[in-house]
Amino acid sequence: MSPCLSDDALERVHADLGSIAERAHLAGCAACTGRSRRMRRDLDLITAVLRETREPLTHVAPVRRRWIPAAVGLSVAALALLVWVEVAVWRAVTPVPATMQPQEVAAILSDVSASLFSVNGDPVRATADDGPLTLEGMARDVDSTLTGDEP
Amino acid sequence: MEPSPSQETIVAAHYGRLRRLCRLLLGDPQEAEDVVQEVFLKAHEAERLARAPMDWGAWLTRVAVNGCRDRRRAGGWMRFRLRSTHIDDLPLVADTPAPSEAAISEDTRRRIWAAFRDLPRRQQEVFALRYIEEQPTTDVAQALGLSPGSVKRHLYRAVRHLRRALGDAR
Repeated sequence: MSPCLSDDALERVHADLGSIAERAHLAGCAACTGRSRRMRRDLDLITAVLRETREPLTHVAPVRRRWIPAAVGLSVAALALLVWVEVAVWRAVTPVPATMQPQEVAAILSDVSASLFSVNGDPVRATADDGPLTLEGMARDVDSTLTGDEP
Repeated sequence: MEPSPSQETIVAAHYGRLRRLCRLLLGDPQEAEDVVQEVFLKAHEAERLARAPMDWGAWLTRVAVNGCRDRRRAGGWMRFRLRSTHIDDLPLVADTPAPSEAAISEDTRRRIWAAFRDLPRRQQEVFALRYIEEQPTTDVAQALGLSPGSVKRHLYRAVRHLRRALGDAR
């Protein structure tokens, strides 16, 4: 005779999923038949509880919510990291505005001088065609304007 | 042809079992009551439109199970209601349990209910219809849109899980 059925096999037979050999064994084995009856009683008890008793008010719901603080904390940390990375990247890729070149300063000063000391109407604007401007050149221009000499 | 039963007859015959089934599947008496009301409204509508099914029992079961599924999918605020108990469902006499409850230890009851709630939705439905409603496997399969073999497999897994929970209590 084949060895006794495991609990798993008995449950399979009970669910009508057992093989012919398992069912045949159960039909002829007193020990397995006893275990099968016990299984039936367990099932009756489970059914009776679910059918006739009230569900306890507190079930596992609070335990399932333990992840919420962790999720909130992680989200805040991720957001902070994202902001930090954004700022760091933004700083790295954004060109720092260049300081003014001496030529530009000289051109502006020249314009200012021309405006301030113009004697014949509109000031003459400094242009790039005038050649590179230097402080010495500017000083000469101012000098010549004040003294009336041609530069 | 057999005349269609009246709405009162249908409600009287199926109200209790549908309410129990929905309570089991939803875990919330108020939600269950709402679903049962919707089921009977749909039954009334079906009759009015001359679409009455041949088998009211199977039809009502299928609509109730689908209604419970929709409720469970409905979102967080619905689940939030599970945390509260409607005042009508609070026991009036808390210190005298029913005889059936008294015969079974508190621990055993808690374990069984917790194990049932741990089951996947499909296994809960199969177990409830097959063992609580005592419907044959073929009817369960038809109500849930499954094959009989699939019903048996779900049932096998559900029973194994529930028995293990019970085994820990013994």
